[in-house]
Parts: sequence; structure tokens; C-alpha cells
Amino acid sequence: MNDIPMNGLIAAILDGDCAESAIRVEQLRKAGASAERIVTHGIEPAMSALDGKCTLEEFNLLEIMLAGRAVTEVMKLLYPEGSAAAPSKATVIIATLEGDVHDLGKNILKMVLTGSRYRVVDCGKDCPLEKLADCAEREQPLAIGISGLITNVIPQVKQVKDLLRVRKLEWVKVMAGGAALKQSTAGKLNVDFVAESAFDTLHYLEGLAGDGR
Amino acid sequence: MNSLERISATVQRQATDRVPVIAQVFGHAARIGGATLDEYVQDGETLARCQLKALHDYGYDAVFSVMDVNVETEAVGSVLRYPKNQYSVIERYALAEESSLESFQIPDPRRAGRMPEMLRALRLLRKELGDEVAIVGCVLGPFTLATQLLGLEAALYLAIDDPARLERIMDFAAEVVIRYGQSQIEAGAHLVVIFDPSGSPAVIPANFFREFELPRLQRVSQALLASGAAANWLHIAGPTASILPYYPKAGIDIGNFDYLVSAEEAKTCLPDTCLDGNIKSLLFVEGSAGDVEEEAKELLEAFRDRRGFILSSGCEIPPEAKPENVAALVHAARGRG
Repeated sequence: MNDIPMNGLIAAILDGDCAESAIRVEQLRKAGASAERIVTHGIEPAMSALDGKCTLEEFNLLEIMLAGRAVTEVMKLLYPEGSAAAPSKATVIIATLEGDVHDLGKNILKMVLTGSRYRVVDCGKDCPLEKLADCAEREQPLAIGISGLITNVIPQVKQVKDLLRVRKLEWVKVMAGGAALKQSTAGKLNVDFVAESAFDTLHYLEGLAGDGR
Repeated sequence: MNSLERISATVQRQATDRVPVIAQVFGHAARIGGATLDEYVQDGETLARCQLKALHDYGYDAVFSVMDVNVETEAVGSVLRYPKNQYSVIERYALAEESSLESFQIPDPRRAGRMPEMLRALRLLRKELGDEVAIVGCVLGPFTLATQLLGLEAALYLAIDDPARLERIMDFAAEVVIRYGQSQIEAGAHLVVIFDPSGSPAVIPANFFREFELPRLQRVSQALLASGAAANWLHIAGPTASILPYYPKAGIDIGNFDYLVSAEEAKTCLPDTCLDGNIKSLLFVEGSAGDVEEEAKELLEAFRDRRGFILSSGCEIPPEAKPENVAALVHAARGRG
């Protein structure tokens, strides 16, 4: 069962073709491919190919959104609600903080991380800090990703690590991104990492893999 | 040379007594004038009073009647929320779900939503400043308004799933913008900045901008010019190097460039167009006055031999900016002579 070709699914995802991706998944399932194998050998390589295409100079948000939508549909087919959860590398919490309702950046990050086998817990937009900390306490994530389009959320971003320390979650990494936050530095924002793009966040997370969590 | 003359000459690439400086002070003026941001974006008299106070304190070359990016969408039918001391937020998009475009009308700027307050601000500013200082109104670019009517994510998916519907919505948006912009010029604006953040290559590919947005921007700029606008100013932030070369085709006289485009790139992309930019917005919050002055001096040096440059930030100066940093920007231009 290990030699079932995944090229058709990979191409359909990269083309952002939801319907074709679903057909390909059905064919793969019928041929005996497991859900986990479709994720590791179909979805993940598709996300890697997209990562390779998306340089800062050749960035195409629409392409990522379309591929992300196809991945989301495929994941729903493979792991319908109520079934066993998809196996994941780690849990990541994402949020846009209170006062910022722009959530496209956060949603892109969700697609990229989900397609790369992370379990993503989405705290939504306009998220109060206490809600984020409660979620972190409950989920014990590897990292928290905060997306910010407007500068007025910066004072809150600066508080996240201190809040985690109070909750004895100082090992949780805090990552920031988005148009406003990426103008700053990790030191000034009091976070562990400032990402240029969703894939930049993914690379940082992959680098944490050896940290034992 | 007064401020308006200085800016007009700069747009025409003529000699001036000094480089004009436009601090993109919108909501920051509320702080200077002692108002909350939610009052500022809803009351034309407060907006005008705060802009005049900020002009008095800083002494730059243009004032703005800019509320936020939700004026047009609210006038069409989106429902907003006004959080304390913040810009407004869209609670429900007018064109969410499958609403039929035919049930919406082009809003009348004399009556719809906050448009009348925005026009009131312009009338007050013009009455006070006459033709001494450039008075700048603001409309959204048609694609940005489409994203504010539909929601950004929904608009982008619509571009793929049903491009014909998106184009119809953009045509409607262009009509809204033209009517609103024309009423701003009638009310006293010397020029109107076309604010088009969703047109940035950070959001859509350059060929999408060229095929979908450019023809509609042409329509908007032609209509504004025909109504008496002194110039057309297009403001798109982010990494715009790939779309700047299209600006002249859209009838743009002033092109904003953000910190992600260097002065050299901007000059190469737009050799014959007036440029404004490009200090990083966050520097006005996180940096010192010395940092801003240093960046400003580098920019002035980069444009020393080129007429057609307005010293400015790359995007809005955030409301919470340090006043001494805004003052440093103005000082850099005024001190140079």
C-alpha cells in the first residue's frame, strides 16, 4: 500500500481545486491508502511545494488561500467531525488579539499549519488576553501564534509571555506576525519569534521539533 | 510659497522653496486635540478641530478628512461597531451571503451614514484654511471597497469562484467611490487620496491588480480630476514595486510608497510621477525623534536631485505615535530649506 502514487492529489491541492482534491482522496482511500499516509505523503508534500514557491518576491496570497481551502476540505473528508482526531506533530494556538478584527493572516497560518500536520486551536479574532491564557493552560501548546494588522495591539502582545509565566507556562513559545507586528523585533515585542510569513512561522516550529515537546 | 502651492508645484515637478512634508496624521490628531478616536471618526466638527490643532502643533503641509476605512461600506449598508477609542469595526458585511447587488443603491453622500459628517469636516477645514494648506479627502479604491462590502476572505475566494460577480461588485464600488469623492471636492477638498490597502501585492497578485483594479482606478481618477481635484493620489502600502509602474496608466499624480520599497526602486518604477513616502509607521511609535530625523534626512538625500518628492511616512502614522517623532519628521523637511 506504500506505493500508491499521490501526485494527482498533490497537483490538485497546488491547483487549489477542491473538487478534484476530493475525487483524488476518494480514489486513494479505495486503493487502500490510510488517512495518515494521505496526510504525510499527499498534503504535506503539497504544502512544502507551496512553501518553495512562495518567496517574499513571488508571494501569492490567493494561491495559498486556494490550496489551503483544498487542504481543509480534504482534512474534513479524512477526519470527519466526531471521528478520531488527525495525528499531529504538536498543538499550536493562534489568535488575533482584542482590538484587532483582521483575521485573514491568522486564517492563512491555520491552513498552512493544519496542512503541515499541526493541531491548530483557533482562539479567533478580537481575543482577550485572559481567554488566550486560559486556552494555553487547557491545551498545553508548543507555541502560540499572534497575528496583528494594526499597531494598537502591540501593548497586549508584549504582555503574553508574562501572562504565560504567571500560569507556569513559560516554556510555550510566542510567535508574532502580520503587517503591524512584523515591523518590530522579537525583543521589542517580548516574543520568541517574529515571522515574515506563515511559512516562516512553520519553519520556526519545525526548528523547535527537537525541543522535546 | 504656501503649503498648497508647494505641493502643487511638487506634483508638477517644478522648483519649490523646500520639500513638502505630509505626515499621514489621521486618528493621531484625535489624541492631539483631546478627543477619543470613536468621537473623532463620527463627528465632523471634532475631526476638523483636531486636524487644525495638529496642523498648528506640527506645521506640516496638508490636513486630512479621513475617518476610517468603513465609511463607504457603512453608507451602503454594513453594520459597524464603535469601540471606545478605536477605529470602527464591521459587525456585518452588507454583501455577506448571497445578497443581491440590485437591492443596493449608490449612497447619497449628503445623507448616508457618516458621509455627511466627513463632508462637514471638509467644509470647516476649507473655511478655516482656504487655499493655504492642502486639504485632502479620502475614498477607498474599488477593490478595497469590495473587500469591505464582502469581507476580505470572501472577496478573494469570489475572485476565483465567481469573478463575474466580483467584477459587478467592483463596478458598483467604483460608482460609490466616484460619487463620494466628487462630493468631497465640492465640499472643499483640494484633492482626494485613493486609499487601496487590499490592492497591495501583499494581498493580490500584480496581474490581478492590472486586470481588475487598474481600469476602475482609471475611472475613479478621471472622474475626480473632471470634478476639479488638484491631483490624484494613490495610497497602497506594502511591497508595491510590482504595481507602481501601472500608476501613470491609472491617472495617478502622487504615488505613495511604503518602507518595503526603497527610494531607488520607487524612483525607477515611477520616473515621472511625484512620490511620497516612506518611513516605517511603527518607527513613530517605537523609535526616537532622532531615529525619525535620521531616516527623513536619508530620504531627502535620496531625492535631492529629483523634483517631485513629498516627505512622508509609508502608511498611516499610528494614533499612538509619539508627538516628538511626528515633529521630527516635519523638522527634517522644514529645516532643510
